[in-house]
Amino acid sequence: MLRELVNRLSDPIISFPLATFAFYLMLRYYKIFGTKKFAYWTVGILIPVTTWFLADPNFFSIIKTPDNIPIIILLISVGFFTWFALHKAAINDTRIEEGLGPIEATPENREKVWSWPNLVYVELFAIIACTAFLIVWAIIFKAPLEEPANPTWAPNPAKAPWYFLGLQEMLVYFDPWMAGVVLPGLIVGGLIAIPYIDTNPKGNGYFTFKERAMAITAFLYGWLVLWVYLIIVGVFLRGPNWTFYGPFEFWDFHKVVASFNVNLSEIIWIKMLGIGLPKNLVMREIFGIILSLAYIIIIPPWFAKATKVGRDLLKNVGSIRYYIFMFLILMTMSLPIKMILRWLFSLKYIVALPEWELNL
Amino acid sequence: MSESKEPGMAFQMTKLHKVMAVLSFIFFVTTVWVFLDDYIRPWKAIQVEAQQIKRRHTEEAIKAAKKEIDSKKLAELQANLGKGKDIVASRKKEISKTEDELKAVLTKIKAQTIKNGTSNGDVSAINFQYETAQKEHNAKEAEKKLAELLKLKAEFSQGKDNLKAYQAEEKIIRAKLADLNKEVTDNEKAIKEITTKLNLLELAKKQTDMSLIFAIRNMPFLDYLDPTIKIQQIVINNVTDDRYFRQVPKVDRCITCHTFIDQPGYEKEKQPFRTHPKLDLMVGMESSHPMKTTGCTSCHGGEGQRVNDFASVAHMPDGEKQEKEWIQKYGWKEPHHVASPMLKLSQTEAGCVKCHSGVELIKGATVLNEGRMAIEKYGCYGCHKMGEWAENRRKPGPSLLKIAGKVDKEWFKSWVWEPRSFNKHSRMPAFFRQSNNSKPEFIRYNMAEVNAIAEYVYDKSKPYVPNEKFHAGNAENGKKIISQVGCLGCHGVDGLEDQSNKVKAYAGPWLTGLGSKVQPDWLVSWLKKPSHYQEDTIMPSMRLSDQEANDIATYLLSMRNKTFEALTFSPLDTKARDELLADYNSTFDTYESAVKKVAKMSDREKTLDLGKRSIGKYGCYSCHNLEGFDGYEGIGPNLTKEGSKPITQFGYGLQHDVAQTRDAWITAHLQRPSRWDEGIDKVFKDLNKMPNFYMSEAEAKKITVAILGQVADVVPMEGIKKHDAGAALYNQGMKVAGKYNCMGCHQIDGLRGDILKMYADDINQGPPRLVNEGHRVQTKWMYHFFGNVQPIRPWLQIRMPSFNLSLEEKNKLIAGFQQGAHQGTFEEPEMEVVWEPGEKEGAAKLWSAYNCVSCHSIGFTKDTPLAPNLHLASGRLRPSWIRKWLTNPQAILPGTVMPSFFGEDGTTPTEPGVFGGDAKKQINALTKYVIELGKNEKK
Repeated sequence: MLRELVNRLSDPIISFPLATFAFYLMLRYYKIFGTKKFAYWTVGILIPVTTWFLADPNFFSIIKTPDNIPIIILLISVGFFTWFALHKAAINDTRIEEGLGPIEATPENREKVWSWPNLVYVELFAIIACTAFLIVWAIIFKAPLEEPANPTWAPNPAKAPWYFLGLQEMLVYFDPWMAGVVLPGLIVGGLIAIPYIDTNPKGNGYFTFKERAMAITAFLYGWLVLWVYLIIVGVFLRGPNWTFYGPFEFWDFHKVVASFNVNLSEIIWIKMLGIGLPKNLVMREIFGIILSLAYIIIIPPWFAKATKVGRDLLKNVGSIRYYIFMFLILMTMSLPIKMILRWLFSLKYIVALPEWELNL
Repeated sequence: MSESKEPGMAFQMTKLHKVMAVLSFIFFVTTVWVFLDDYIRPWKAIQVEAQQIKRRHTEEAIKAAKKEIDSKKLAELQANLGKGKDIVASRKKEISKTEDELKAVLTKIKAQTIKNGTSNGDVSAINFQYETAQKEHNAKEAEKKLAELLKLKAEFSQGKDNLKAYQAEEKIIRAKLADLNKEVTDNEKAIKEITTKLNLLELAKKQTDMSLIFAIRNMPFLDYLDPTIKIQQIVINNVTDDRYFRQVPKVDRCITCHTFIDQPGYEKEKQPFRTHPKLDLMVGMESSHPMKTTGCTSCHGGEGQRVNDFASVAHMPDGEKQEKEWIQKYGWKEPHHVASPMLKLSQTEAGCVKCHSGVELIKGATVLNEGRMAIEKYGCYGCHKMGEWAENRRKPGPSLLKIAGKVDKEWFKSWVWEPRSFNKHSRMPAFFRQSNNSKPEFIRYNMAEVNAIAEYVYDKSKPYVPNEKFHAGNAENGKKIISQVGCLGCHGVDGLEDQSNKVKAYAGPWLTGLGSKVQPDWLVSWLKKPSHYQEDTIMPSMRLSDQEANDIATYLLSMRNKTFEALTFSPLDTKARDELLADYNSTFDTYESAVKKVAKMSDREKTLDLGKRSIGKYGCYSCHNLEGFDGYEGIGPNLTKEGSKPITQFGYGLQHDVAQTRDAWITAHLQRPSRWDEGIDKVFKDLNKMPNFYMSEAEAKKITVAILGQVADVVPMEGIKKHDAGAALYNQGMKVAGKYNCMGCHQIDGLRGDILKMYADDINQGPPRLVNEGHRVQTKWMYHFFGNVQPIRPWLQIRMPSFNLSLEEKNKLIAGFQQGAHQGTFEEPEMEVVWEPGEKEGAAKLWSAYNCVSCHSIGFTKDTPLAPNLHLASGRLRPSWIRKWLTNPQAILPGTVMPSFFGEDGTTPTEPGVFGGDAKKQINALTKYVIELGKNEKK
């Protein structure tokens, strides 16, 4: 029963909104989230829950493969460091509210120390410890090699390396050109651009959430929900034929999931207007094109005019930074938007121009 | 933040050093661990163990070799050696003088060799200079060089002469020296002769020493130089592994652990040290599949390149017991990502097929042959293509072209509906009443189909009028005849279950309930002349007399199946018929217009249309000759590459109990094909159509082996068993022999001879075994014998039938038999007898001495003959075969009553008085005598 429920909840249609909601709760109540008590409770609850998960043969068979060890390490470390940052931020924010300033700014913490041995020696420790860890890992878990590549018989599921599984998950919702080239390119470009866009000196050298609420929220949403969560989905919840399988579900090769997706142009011209697709390509996709352009061009100026946050942002960072930032945010948000549209309307593409290799 | 910290420091230095110490230690341990992990491999331990086993065997061999040595003789020789040494010692002075002489000569030879070498070079160089001068027309220079050259040449030739003279001198001195040492060297040589084997063994034993050298050679870090413990491999160029982008020669490293697989003497060791169990056929140097060219995985399958551990090779356990044992013993795991794991031991013979694909029966491959026989029995190849072997075979079922003249329509329908209800041995499979089509609505459709099939078949059936009339005979006598004349070679018969079960004949149907099936006149007519009803039948005429035929018919007709007779088949449900037709017609059309289209057809048209479609659907035409289906392919999937089909492509349905392996699926499928549909909601036309043969698990497993052998592996030309012209002809001949089930009665070259099992008490009462038959009988005789059988062995009750062979088939059989015996068609026809003086008298003497007529009595006495009519021998047998037969009949046919008159070796006659006891002369004379018998007869 409970397993069935977990299987149901894990479906991205439910788990993605859940993840988003949990993310909202985490940041909204970060002062509670950031307490040690919360951490102990969480660990205390997670240990029996994990044991229960592992006791399931289907889940265990997925988790035990050598390929999936890094992702387990990733999950634990991402969880810990997220909590740790918010924990520190919660303490500092309370202090700042009380007018004490962040802990890192207290006189004894501002004292300077020698880089040797305080930094370099400790770095050497880290190098040695990492090397030893990697060696032991390599000995105990053999390389998960498969049969020689057969061009006529692809493995099913064919999965990318675990760190690319988020990208592969995006392929479910986007054209390969978008999910494989444009969006990853924007991720790299956007990450490079962060120091140039974000010139706010607050938070330098100390943990805080309150002073950087928007920046942290924007980044963490992209990182935790749109990247780490998608990797989890890709690793644990996608089986043969890239079909969704609950964590306790047997990866039955023959599982079939009903899905028949339709383009926006088909929805409007055929379903709503009932007059068939126009011959002219641009005319055919005109609604999608208008919507997409509006999304990119109209929202940023409207946001700057209509909302207080927008006005402040534009004023603080200047128009060039503002528009680049908004563009990146909009592109980021295109993923959840596309996911929701797919689930609600079985929407395939907003703009479907395979003739021009342009599918949005 | 404690007080002991120095300014500018965040940590205590001593604390940091401690951390460093701990980390360094961990790092050291992991580094050592890496090297150990790399060094310690399971196969190394096995090789060390193999070395010990080898040592044990060598020690045993040394013991045996020591026993072999005549110690008395050795002691004597050693004593002689001692004496010899004394003698030689007395010549010490002379020997040392001669040795000095030898040394002097050798020095001279060496000096002369150097000198000759120098002048040889000089001659060539000056010669070149001389020729250059000539070419440049420098006469003066040329003259000068020529003079120099001539001088050098003379010197060189003198030098060569000198060398020869010195060498002659050396020879003489050496001979002298040998003479002086003779007493020692001779004895030493004699001793060595006796002890060579022992010495070699001692040397071999030394190689298994666990010495310091052994340790150093196999030490970590140093073991890359020249280790004794290393991976052993065979590279096979004529069999390849498909690595998808290219074909890679097979690399088999199995011998890394199976160390003694090709060496006899290790049969009793535990695995992996055991010798191959069939060394004379496989792996052995002298066998037809030597290890160096055939390898291991070519036949056994599996991953020959891997040596990591037991499981990685994809060893496959045969059965649950072995699986458990392996898991416990070797930590066996299910092969991971291996497209073709090793064949299980009981299925190894599947490995033969990829190279021997077109061969009729493969000698030594018992399971595979039985699998192919089972395939032949059930006629799998009627619907499925399954490789070269199964091509161009006759249709497995009887022709239905004149069926209306044989059985009535009501019988036909009930039979098609459930063949087993009439004949529980039926080879006709059951299409209906299976687990996937027993829902009421499916049964309704199926019955409509059967009705329509019957209408179609009877509509197309040509009239047939039997050419004989039945009159009641003696059933008991009929039964006796059936058991005697050889019917049981092809048929099982009710009432003769004992014999039938021994023979396990399958070429013809099991005979039961014929009284409920056929008309008496038809049966008599069929028995007397089968081809009158079906031109291409393989059923032969047994040359039965009218009385015999009627007796047999009486017996067969006395068998009735009352329950079956009582069955009536429901009349055609026209509504179901119309629904089915509409369904067929709606494939590319809407259902509505399909219904309209069907409605336009007449009633008869509808029925016949459904009949034809149903025959096409179930593939009846694949096994039976039916009008209207010329050029139709079998309906089953092509199984030519079934053994390589990825496991994910096998449909398991809901049958989770069937193991996820090819063989398990195939075996399960053969036993109950409808299982894959069970529990699945399928529409009528999508139901699995493979019928149920009700075969036993044993049979299904044998067929599985034959099918598993059908792999997609590309075997390069040089790896395939290539038939020379002769072997190809033999194979063709055996195909014909297979078609007419010759081997149901005759054992041909050691294969089959099913009916012989009935004659276990006295094999000579059974049909003759054919060994090198092409050599035994003359071409002309064999040809005429096929056309007009004449009895050779009158004491036999079993008869050679008269087959309805085509000219081509006769020729194929003859050529096949002859090529199998390496016998030229036109060699050794009849022989002219030319007697040497006195030979005929000797022959006559032998004839009576050996008392030939006591058995070969026909034409001589009135005794019951126990051996063939020798008057026929001259026209039938080849003289060289008669000679071979006389020499040692047991070698040709073990168990024959023909006595061996010339001993086991064929050289010691029991009648030494004639021809001075010369066996060869006696045999020649007897052969001539026998041939003359026939000649006189003819005159």
